Amino acid sequence: MTSVMVVDDDQDLAEMLGIVLNGVGIEVDLVSRGDEAVDVFRNNPPDLVLLDIMLPGLDGIEVCKQIRKQSMRVPIVMLTAKSDTHDIVRGLEAGADDYMVKPFKPSELVARIRTRLRRAGGEISSNLTIGDLAIDIVEHTVTRGGKEIPLTRLEFDLLVALAKEPGRVFTREALLGEVWGYRHSTDTRLVNVHVQRLRAKIEHDPENPTIINTVRGIGYKAGATGSRG
Amino acid sequence: MELATRQAQQVHEASYSVKTPRFFRKSLFRKVFTLSGIISITLIYFLGSNLFNRISSGIIDEKITASISEGESAIQYADYRFIIGSLGRSTDFKELVSEIVSSTNVSAKDSGREIALFNSNDRRAQGIPAVSTSNFLEPTSVPDGLRKKVQSDDEIHWQKSELQYLNGEKLAGVVIGKAVSIPRVGNYEMYVLFGFDAQQRTIDLIGRSMWGAGLLLITLIMIVASVVLRQVIQPVKYAAEVAEQLTSGDLLKRMEVKGEDEIARLGTAFNEMADTLEQQISRLENLSRVQQRFVSDVSHELRTPLNEMADTLEQQISRLENLSRVQQRFVSDVSHELRTPLTTIRMASDVIYSARDNFDPTIARSAELLISQIERFENLLSDLLEVSRFDAEVATLSLEKVDISTLVRRCADDLGIASKDRDAMLRIEAPVTPVLIDADPRRVERIMRNLLANAIDHSEGKPIDVVVEENESAVSIGVRDYGVGLTEQHIERVFDRFWRADPSRSRIRGGTGLGLSIAREDAQLHGGVIKVWGEMNKGSNFVVTLPKVHGSAIESTPLSEIPTS
Repeated sequence: MTSVMVVDDDQDLAEMLGIVLNGVGIEVDLVSRGDEAVDVFRNNPPDLVLLDIMLPGLDGIEVCKQIRKQSMRVPIVMLTAKSDTHDIVRGLEAGADDYMVKPFKPSELVARIRTRLRRAGGEISSNLTIGDLAIDIVEHTVTRGGKEIPLTRLEFDLLVALAKEPGRVFTREALLGEVWGYRHSTDTRLVNVHVQRLRAKIEHDPENPTIINTVRGIGYKAGATGSRG
Repeated sequence: MELATRQAQQVHEASYSVKTPRFFRKSLFRKVFTLSGIISITLIYFLGSNLFNRISSGIIDEKITASISEGESAIQYADYRFIIGSLGRSTDFKELVSEIVSSTNVSAKDSGREIALFNSNDRRAQGIPAVSTSNFLEPTSVPDGLRKKVQSDDEIHWQKSELQYLNGEKLAGVVIGKAVSIPRVGNYEMYVLFGFDAQQRTIDLIGRSMWGAGLLLITLIMIVASVVLRQVIQPVKYAAEVAEQLTSGDLLKRMEVKGEDEIARLGTAFNEMADTLEQQISRLENLSRVQQRFVSDVSHELRTPLNEMADTLEQQISRLENLSRVQQRFVSDVSHELRTPLTTIRMASDVIYSARDNFDPTIARSAELLISQIERFENLLSDLLEVSRFDAEVATLSLEKVDISTLVRRCADDLGIASKDRDAMLRIEAPVTPVLIDADPRRVERIMRNLLANAIDHSEGKPIDVVVEENESAVSIGVRDYGVGLTEQHIERVFDRFWRADPSRSRIRGGTGLGLSIAREDAQLHGGVIKVWGEMNKGSNFVVTLPKVHGSAIESTPLSEIPTS
């Protein structure tokens, strides 16, 4: 059974989240303090983390960083009462994959969680190469010269989405649909921040990217395939 | 042809007058010195050569006159000898001719003379050669023209000629000739030739002396000219320097005046001008000082009350700023604090709503109402938060390149109208090629959402036209409905918060009453505008215009809010 750790200091909201998620067959672990969340995660790692930003003990951004130190893979969705760009970008940069602004629709939350838990590129069995990177979709690993580059699940999904069709220009909206499962959204910050995070990990020179190229005014495309080795 | 030449000449003159060499332009001394040099050289050259020609031709003429009389007597003497000789029986004319011809032992080369005797028929007779000459003189020294004249009559004739010798030497000279007859032998012509050698030497000497004298004279003239020029130019130069100093601000500078000449008059006039100038300037300075003092006095008088006023104003402003900050914080906190319970309520109502089939109809309906009102409450809350951000001027743009055509189409798609109805209702006319501008897509999308929602609310089921037009500097999006329309008073208030044209109209779509106000703030944040046209029962037209490059001005709006049809 899928398990989700909910970190929120509002008891009623946490309980309500429990009711909603239990209703769709997801096991919920409720934590009300930031510092506790890190311990709970270590002892009993969940499949996904729902994380409030305003927390007693340790704030959500810090909790996010701590969890990322322990696991690159686990999806983290921030719950925030603020829609200020600054907070959202800070959360994404700390390692969160997605965020939900309160108040949100329960159905939307469930859809978000399901998208994040779905494994990327299920329909493709073969391995991919992009630039000098080798992507093993079954193993869920990215390697350069035999050395693994640790990516979060979402970063992996983003890279696979681009690498599946090298040369195709993806608009930010298309990527939001493909990777985040959004149908109608123009919150391009989500894409921009993650592309930057991904570049920092896979590009030789993140300032002059060659694997994920920006197409000015439109979006992104994957660069040369592995034919050049 | 002639015209062309004249034009060419004019052009040449024009260019000459423009291109006076810099060397002469900059110095009066150089100009006058060079000019006087050229004039004196020309004059002396012409005078000298004229004089020389006269002298040399005088000397030659003198020599010719002397030669003619000497030649004539020599010929007479020879003639006389021939007549005497004819009286004697045994006279050997061959010997006599040889004697007469060679009697001149001093050659013309040495200021002597030569003699030539020609047989008039160029025949040898009685041992006398056809031509006899003295001192190896070439017979060709006697010109043919002269011979013809001498043969024609019995007069003395002469002509300038060149004396030629067998050894190739040549000498300028004169030939005097006359026909003589040797009795019993035949007709002869006798010529006496004189060289100008001595005269030529004299002429050469005179020429050399004149050259020397000319050069000396020119040098003297130039020296005198430069001395005189310096005398005249020195004071002019001094005057120019003083004038320059005066111009550069040294108002007390004056010229020293000596004597009563033209230079002195210039100095006096200059000094008078400088005096006047100085007086005028000091008057102006005085005036300005008075003015300054006045301004400083007045400002001093005003300073104290002004300072007090400024302090008060500053306090008031900082109080207001504080108040506004507190207010903004409060609104932000309120909306933030409301969000968490609202999320719980939302989820709870969703759970209740999804189970409504199990409830009694009134409770089921209540669940539906609960959920729609919660949605409205949410919208109102987020709009209020947005408005408070605008009021506190903390709203920021997150700019990127946005394709407006695509964005408008997507907004239309997102309206939540069934696609079949939508095609009938929304007619979109936008360029197929991307219309890229610097914009915050979230905000532009919100503008579109609000304008479209407003149009649909007031369309009364009639179609809505959406038009995208661009020019170099800006892009316009027009949203036109054909519904209830707006009066002029309405247009004035249409962007006011919570204002509704007709309060009795049902709030079918649950608009917050803040949509247009936020749309205008969003447009203004981009440096854009929203213009409105409306007429009762004809509908309304909202045109939002945004600059293509952020921070640049909109030169002209691509689309007018006044509809063409």
